[in-house]
Amino acid sequence: MQKKICMIGTFAVGKTSLVRRFVESIYSSKYHTTVGVKVDKKIVRVGDEETTLLIWDIEGAESEHELRKSYLRGASGYLLVADGTRQDTLYKALTLQTRAEEAVGKAPFLLLLNKSDLADQWQITSRDLAALEQKQWNVINTSAKTGHGVEEAFLTLAEKMAEKLNG
Amino acid sequence: MMQSEAPELLDQAPPDTSSNDEENMAELRSLLLGPAEKQLAEVHTRLTDPRRQMEEVSRVLPAAISVRSRQDHDLTDALAPTVAAALHQSIRKDPQPLADAIFPIIGPAIRKAIATALNGMVQSLNQTMAHSLSIQGMKWRLEALRTGKSFAEVVMLKTLLYRVEQVFLIHKNTGLLLQHISAPGAKAQDADMVSGMLTAIQDFVHDSFATPAGDELEDMRVGDLTVWVERGPEAVLAAVIRGNAPEDLRAVFQETLEKIQLQFGMALSEFAGDATPFSATASLLEDCLEARYDSGSPAANVKRRVTPLTVIGAVLLIVVLIWGFFWLREVRRWNAYVERLRNEPGIIVAENGKRAGKRFLSGLRDPLARDPQQVMQDYQVNPQTVLSHWEPFHALTPEFVLARTSSLLNPPDTVRFSLTNGTLQAEGFASHLWVNETRQAARFLPGIGGLNEERLLDLNRIEDPLLRFELDRAELVPGQQQSLDLLTADIKRLQSLAVALQKSVRLEISGHTDGTGSGARNLMLSEERARTVASVLQARLPTFANLTINAVGSREKVREEVTENDRASNRSVTFKVVTTEAK
Repeated sequence: MQKKICMIGTFAVGKTSLVRRFVESIYSSKYHTTVGVKVDKKIVRVGDEETTLLIWDIEGAESEHELRKSYLRGASGYLLVADGTRQDTLYKALTLQTRAEEAVGKAPFLLLLNKSDLADQWQITSRDLAALEQKQWNVINTSAKTGHGVEEAFLTLAEKMAEKLNG
Repeated sequence: MMQSEAPELLDQAPPDTSSNDEENMAELRSLLLGPAEKQLAEVHTRLTDPRRQMEEVSRVLPAAISVRSRQDHDLTDALAPTVAAALHQSIRKDPQPLADAIFPIIGPAIRKAIATALNGMVQSLNQTMAHSLSIQGMKWRLEALRTGKSFAEVVMLKTLLYRVEQVFLIHKNTGLLLQHISAPGAKAQDADMVSGMLTAIQDFVHDSFATPAGDELEDMRVGDLTVWVERGPEAVLAAVIRGNAPEDLRAVFQETLEKIQLQFGMALSEFAGDATPFSATASLLEDCLEARYDSGSPAANVKRRVTPLTVIGAVLLIVVLIWGFFWLREVRRWNAYVERLRNEPGIIVAENGKRAGKRFLSGLRDPLARDPQQVMQDYQVNPQTVLSHWEPFHALTPEFVLARTSSLLNPPDTVRFSLTNGTLQAEGFASHLWVNETRQAARFLPGIGGLNEERLLDLNRIEDPLLRFELDRAELVPGQQQSLDLLTADIKRLQSLAVALQKSVRLEISGHTDGTGSGARNLMLSEERARTVASVLQARLPTFANLTINAVGSREKVREEVTENDRASNRSVTFKVVTTEAK
């Protein structure tokens, strides 16, 4: 089984780092801007079935207009990434989600609050979290640097996609 | 319907017969059917009369055959065995008509087949020869060595016009891979990721350059590889092609895609990540794995060989080779020359390079060393191409010190120099004047630490002393024994040095008298005096034979006679050493 998933978020929130951590178990603090998209692949097990995740690491988008719908086309799910140390990236993630839903419909997704290793610079407030809870969003704190939550995030998404297919 | 019902009506008529009713029935029938009766009778004849049937079928047969042939191949299939059997039968009966019929075809066909076969043989021979012997062949062999591929593989890659190496069948909407096949031996990367990336690139190009809908990326080219992308409604076919494929290959791809759309349309619409239903597309996609090779026609080879470019190339190559030969020879000569100079005593090469297009050489040179210009001639180096600069210096190697010393001191040929630990060794005999000058000069000569005179004889020791005689007699004045001893010893030394230097020496003994007395008497007396000394010396030096006597009387005075002492000095013999080359 193959599934296309997308990484969505603004610049420098750590989309590429999360993919590298998940696929290659590598972290580099060097910042690289992704131009266009980079496709990666990882095989995961969901239940008894092997699923090949084709991960489209899409370039950072500042606003919903910058997010190219064509890259999202055909995705079975997506990971919305925000930088926990920059509150504005969370708000941008919210608008990007609307755009993503326009493109792929009601596909499973998760919100990742990345850079959880930088606890002292954390800007996400409990009010933010409450609002997200009200939206019934799945939120996972991740750190591409330490690997915290990364595997969990991808696997959870894979499971949700499998549920959607079966249910 | 008509055909099947009509006979039924007619056939049912006879059982109904009864004698009375028959006429009535006939009347009724003629009333009911009236005009149709004639037609029925006509139909009846048409159906029962074989001749009519034949005529009718023959009328529609050609058209019917052509209509049916257009519809499907059933007719051909049905006819094939019959035609085959008929042909078989006909040949068995008489092969001649068929042989006659195909004769015009069979001749040219055979000729063509033979020509093609021969041509192919010649071509492959040419190709093998060309590939194994040509420069290109060598290059390919090198490439094979370098890349670890077999030679055959390299030749194949190089003569390949094009080859479809990989075919990807991609789900259009998701970019997920449905099927992937590759040609044997072609390198294939992770097809899942390539498929995703190919889709992403198409999206990227489409979005980035705002192309109108319908305009899509059709091909990508990287070096030798081209990726052709063909789109169907729900699937994309991407082919990786090495070389230059003809445009009509696109039609093959398009056709394959259409077939897939037709057969797997449902699966494509319902695709949700499970590619297993598409494993069956492999056989369809395999039609796309085409390849064409350069047959390398001999005509093309010949043409290629005589192009002006080839000629120019060959001439250039020859020129380069000749130039290279001369250049190499010049370099070797030059290096040998410089090497010689480095080994040449009294020359120190400090710099060897190029300046203003000429070779440049500089260093130190002792004025007594060999002239570099002369050495240059020995090595056939053209002096015009060389700039050299030599600073004079004094080399302190023994040979140079000796050579310099010799040229400065100008020793007579009865003296030989040698150098031992910086001390100048002089061997031989020379005039007092020269010995004195040498003593002075030796102290200032560079590289000379002192003068060893042990084997140097100052001739004054022999030529200066006088042996005095009694007045008017040829008898030595008594008390000159010591002078005689010294003289004898010095003559002995002279004798041994002369032998060492391969010179022969003669001792000339001159007898003198004072100015008193008559000239004749004096001459006689002087001769006697000389003889006396000669016999004394001969007794002391039996091996020294070369003595001559010379009577000069009072003609050659030792001193001007002013006092009695002067006269006593004139009553004497004097000596002179005469040197000649040894025999």
